[in-house]
Amino acid sequence: MSFKSHRLIRTIIQIIFLLFFIFLFLRTSYGVKIDFQNTFYKFNPMLFITLSIASRSFVSGLLLSVILIILTLLLGRIFCGFICPLGTMIDLFDSVLVKTRIKFHKNNPQSRWFIITKSTKYIVLLFILVSALFGISFVHFFDPLVIFERFLTFVMLPVVTYFAGSFSNIKIFFANENIFVLLYVIGILSSGIFVSRFWCQYLCPLGGLLSILSKIAIFKFLFTKPCSKCLLCQKVCPTDAISLKTDDIDAGECIGCFRCQYECPDRVIKYKMGLKLNNFNIRRRHFITATGMALIAVPLVRINIHQKNNGRLIRPPGAIPELDFLNTCIHCGKCIKVCPTNGLQPCLLESGINGLWSPHLVARIGGCEKNCNLCGQICPTGAIRNLPLEEKTYVKIGTAVIDRSRCLAWEQDKACLICDEACPYNAINNLNETIQNITIGRPFVDERLCTGCGICESRCPIDGRSAIEVFSIGEERKRSGSYITPEKIKLRCGAESSEDIPSGFILQDD
Amino acid sequence: MGKISRRDFLKAGAATVASIFIPRFFSGSEVKSDKGPLIGVAYGNKEKLVAGAIEQIGGIERFVKSGNRVLIKPNISFAANAECGATTSAEIVKQIVQLCLNAGAVKVIIVDYPLANAEICIEKSGIKEALIDKTKVNILMLSKERQFYEVEVPDGKALKTVKIAKELNNVDTVINVPTAKSHSATGVSLGMKNLMGLIWDRNIFHRSNLHQAIAELATVVKPHLTIVDATRALTSGGPGGPGKTVILNTVIAGTDIVAVDSYTTGITQWYNKSFTGRNVKHIVAGYKLGLGEIDTEKMQIKKVEV
Repeated sequence: MSFKSHRLIRTIIQIIFLLFFIFLFLRTSYGVKIDFQNTFYKFNPMLFITLSIASRSFVSGLLLSVILIILTLLLGRIFCGFICPLGTMIDLFDSVLVKTRIKFHKNNPQSRWFIITKSTKYIVLLFILVSALFGISFVHFFDPLVIFERFLTFVMLPVVTYFAGSFSNIKIFFANENIFVLLYVIGILSSGIFVSRFWCQYLCPLGGLLSILSKIAIFKFLFTKPCSKCLLCQKVCPTDAISLKTDDIDAGECIGCFRCQYECPDRVIKYKMGLKLNNFNIRRRHFITATGMALIAVPLVRINIHQKNNGRLIRPPGAIPELDFLNTCIHCGKCIKVCPTNGLQPCLLESGINGLWSPHLVARIGGCEKNCNLCGQICPTGAIRNLPLEEKTYVKIGTAVIDRSRCLAWEQDKACLICDEACPYNAINNLNETIQNITIGRPFVDERLCTGCGICESRCPIDGRSAIEVFSIGEERKRSGSYITPEKIKLRCGAESSEDIPSGFILQDD
Repeated sequence: MGKISRRDFLKAGAATVASIFIPRFFSGSEVKSDKGPLIGVAYGNKEKLVAGAIEQIGGIERFVKSGNRVLIKPNISFAANAECGATTSAEIVKQIVQLCLNAGAVKVIIVDYPLANAEICIEKSGIKEALIDKTKVNILMLSKERQFYEVEVPDGKALKTVKIAKELNNVDTVINVPTAKSHSATGVSLGMKNLMGLIWDRNIFHRSNLHQAIAELATVVKPHLTIVDATRALTSGGPGGPGKTVILNTVIAGTDIVAVDSYTTGITQWYNKSFTGRNVKHIVAGYKLGLGEIDTEKMQIKKVEV
């Protein structure tokens, strides 16, 4: 088999996995049964390790990632070369950028610069792990699967539905602050202008983790015989894994593309079983750097002023307590994609820098639909609990507050009461007031019945800011245990309220 | 094939030319007699309600001719459970669809502009039950501004212009199928209120004078037939429910939308009180605009048990 057909096979496998990823992404929508949409995350060992450490609990949903660990211990970093959808995108861009590549350093694996840059991914990995030990997870900024999924949700989906929606009835998907996701991904993809697979070689912490495992992998590329030192393999290797000075192929860098094996004129490089270990290249100074970074980053993230002054941060129903939530949520945006009202949106800085792109309900765009618990069903890590539909309707995520100075009924004496009309929980009551023989119905919120779903806020007919807004007053966040209490059931049963007769009636007897 | 005589040709030609001058959408057949508007009421067996009520006002053939396209406007705007009464029951819509198809309709389009997520509304209302012939019947959930066009409201006080569904112009017959329910702002939500599901910006109504706006909308959007689903009436907690639901097993049909609304207001108590059409602001406003009869004594009510 020639290299060309080998490369073709690898490209086909990569594209199959990429399409599978996109297929799962598209299946993440209302009306489709939630079954294996989270497959990729379930096999991601970095998420499993980091989240388990950071949240001090066993994230059992990701236990399958052990399989990827074993696979890497057997075959090396094939995840990076064959499966990772971000890797596939990078390969795609690299194949274009290779023509305009800037040569900024000699391709010399022995140089000091080279070793320093190559170790960056270990520093990133150590930084994530040490921060997790200190109780904060940063994994969502660096995990390649999450980055790619976020790119699909916040950038591709709005763009595609915008065009599709302009000539069909497809709903346009909105996402806040998507430009930052786009810039991040552009940064990763365009770094191919310096070196191929820049992200994978220097930054990706999942790559770093798999790289450490690959160094002791059983199958790897080896020089079977002394070679003529033509330097061809060293030149073609996309991840600079080959050093001819030491006749060494670093399995930790190799992504299994087979180029060297097929381009070597002497045919001395073979992918075979070999128990030779590679240098680990992780030094004490890496630990110190990572710990130092974590020591600064963790307090900065923990002491964030946003928690105190933002009462508008509404998390999806069933979200576990905030600190646990931030440590368990990977900000992949699956709940945001699946939300049928589009009300779930990525945060910008509402919950601090570490909450960037985490989900919150922007009720002005859409409320939390009563007949839906998809965000909990889809969440790959359990940051949003998978509550039964009935129980979900009992979760209080906030309380609606009427701004009487903006309300049409209160301030302009109009017959409105759309909030009352829209409320699925009968939490808004209409009480009449008669001024100079004119009867006007005014809305009141019954905070005991209000769940903070925000449907009233989304439907308020005034322009701009709604006259009824949901604040996180009284929100319930439970790690375990039922949200249904006897008091709540009793309240709902007695919901035949003391509402007044609508002002749309003309009452004769008074 | 017989020869076409010159006389026949001229007749057909004249008819064709004449038909151009009849705006399609405003051609509601108005059979007005001295006795006031005809109201057909059927109660009893759920499965025969629609046929029974329409039979009383001259049969479906009066409204749907062979080859016609029919638009049905039920209320499937809420993601509420069907039994609660916030939405038109699928069973009633199904019966209407069946009658239209029997009368030779080539296309029946079930249209609404839902307030909640369209998919959930379709699922919760069970409206798919009405899709008895998938080639001829379909559901259109409006969602885009381009599906509406602007019309002027002649002599409008609350509304100057309003954007109504374009689909109204592509059909020969419009059948308005509200469900009988209470409404926290307008008192009751029946035939006239249901037409708000065919316009783009409902919010303007609330910022203006709501009751007057509803009546003025009925001067622009004129359904040929209004059939109220009063199999169960949501008599409080409307329009979204949950609230008190009363089983009435009744269907009311008529061409006069004010008369139908006014009559339906009187068939049950709302918020545990009795009302007539004269007690409902938007029905009174419709009556004052000359849209129809408000007093039940002046109506010709044909009641039948099926």
